Amino acid sequence: MQIRNTFVTGTLLATTLLAGQAHSANWLMLQGTEPVGSAEMAKVWGFVQPEYQSTSGTDLKAGPFSGQSAVFNQIGPDLNTDSQFNIRRARLGVRGAGFPLDSNVNYFFLVEAGNNAITRNGGGSVKVTDASVTFNHINGARFRIGQFKYPGSEEGLQAIHVFDYINFTNMTNGLLLERFYDGDGSDTQSANSPNGAVGAFRDVGVQVFDSFKHNDWEHSYALMVGNGNGIARGDNDDNKDVYLYWSSAKIFSGQGPRRDDWKLFAWSQQGKRTLVNLDQEFDRDRWGVGTTFRKDRYRAAFEYVKADGMVADGTDGGAVPGSRNNADTATASWNVATDGEADGWYAHFGYAVSPKWELDIRYDVLNRVTNVAAAERQFETLTLGAQYFLNRKTRLIFNYEIRDAEAPNLAGTAVPNQILDGIDNRLAVQVLAIF
Amino acid sequence: MPKYFLSVCYGLILLFLSSTALTAESVTKPFAQHRVVLQISDPDPFKQTLVLNVAGNLIKHYGPDAVDVEIVAFGPGLRLLLKDNSNVERIDQLANDSGVRFSACENTISAFTKLLDEEPELNPHATHVSAGVVRIIDLTNQGYTLIKP
Repeated sequence: MQIRNTFVTGTLLATTLLAGQAHSANWLMLQGTEPVGSAEMAKVWGFVQPEYQSTSGTDLKAGPFSGQSAVFNQIGPDLNTDSQFNIRRARLGVRGAGFPLDSNVNYFFLVEAGNNAITRNGGGSVKVTDASVTFNHINGARFRIGQFKYPGSEEGLQAIHVFDYINFTNMTNGLLLERFYDGDGSDTQSANSPNGAVGAFRDVGVQVFDSFKHNDWEHSYALMVGNGNGIARGDNDDNKDVYLYWSSAKIFSGQGPRRDDWKLFAWSQQGKRTLVNLDQEFDRDRWGVGTTFRKDRYRAAFEYVKADGMVADGTDGGAVPGSRNNADTATASWNVATDGEADGWYAHFGYAVSPKWELDIRYDVLNRVTNVAAAERQFETLTLGAQYFLNRKTRLIFNYEIRDAEAPNLAGTAVPNQILDGIDNRLAVQVLAIF
Repeated sequence: MPKYFLSVCYGLILLFLSSTALTAESVTKPFAQHRVVLQISDPDPFKQTLVLNVAGNLIKHYGPDAVDVEIVAFGPGLRLLLKDNSNVERIDQLANDSGVRFSACENTISAFTKLLDEEPELNPHATHVSAGVVRIIDLTNQGYTLIKP
């Protein structure tokens, strides 16, 4: 009898715990809506990501900053060292339905207190990353208003606490994780530092979206109009960014961020950026396609992104911005190829060896400024990863990035290639704890 | 003799009708060996999942014919039985496949109506009862075991 009671209690507890993890798998719905009739008035949640990263710290081998620290071998956000412990992210949020009886209105609020490009730039040590209200009154057309993740690339749109790696791909870091500047870096006496927080794949605006189920398939769309000027501030011009998104997913089983499904998606962003130091506007267009797959022990993803305009173009001589050149005649700056074109892609495969261990491998490519032969740079990274799940909310992530870069249209002995030869591999270890 | 016979017949008919009425009201599973009433009155959405899990696991453990389960919702717990509640598929499944009954408190419905300025639409499986707490007392008096997950 005691065994039977234990069995009943155990079954009840196990089922309860498992069901309690359930969320919608669709990022638009997961982040923008609450479960109807069962939302909390204020659900407090968050996560922390302490980490350690290091490279060999190889200095620049050539060019006007030869012998100085190479920006690509320094660890962000401060770029002062080639190895460091850091609190990459520390986020605290509240979400729910303020008036729980009315499922037509819900909200989402999240702040960032970690040490990263959100908090280090633009003043303040804590910044609001998300503050939005969603209205669900119209079937097929939900409205979300405020600051939140815009619809786009899977790597940017997905919840960061289910990201399988520590660092973003070259493609996402170079083309999508937007930094905002006042100039293009052509001023030789200025570092052209970002004028605010990194975009963090978010914008301030209004989005109409919804999701529709048809048998095993789930189709989603989103249309958004936003400032296109980053987070935690208003707009700096009259232009607005337009975002379009579509996804179709075949659901195999389960639910939540880690449900088994196969998703296809496409998206685009169109906007303009104003560089106040140049008093000029430049187009900034992005589009992409991709697919994700997760079933049983297997995970896979592929994305391709094309960029036109406002392409991040590295730093002068590969030096840390703010450094003076060896002749003391110029300051290294962040550069922007205002009319540059670029593209990139990545492929990711994962395999769950056991409930505790998952192995990952990712290969990513960024082709930067492809429309100017001498300025083109190609970055490739092969990331070997492993994740150890201490429990459903806490895991360790190990990454070793084998990095390579070149100027494909220049001779191997050219200065840019000598500089890029010095790019180190990178080790990263992170703890991710969700609460 | 005919008068005595008619009286017996009337008596038997009344007895039959009364037993049928009792069966329809509360004993819908004549072969159930266990009778359980589950209370949901908590605003915590997790409790919604929990009470459905408990009902499902009781059915799974004893079998649908051997256990009679009724979920009584009142107060903030009534949100479980609102028409568009995110658990609607599980409620359908428990009601249709396992015969789990759902009772909605009319006092709470009236309170919700005042707050919303309109009467809330309920799940079609929900049966109105005058007061959730009274329903629980009635069922426990009939031998049901009260569980509040």
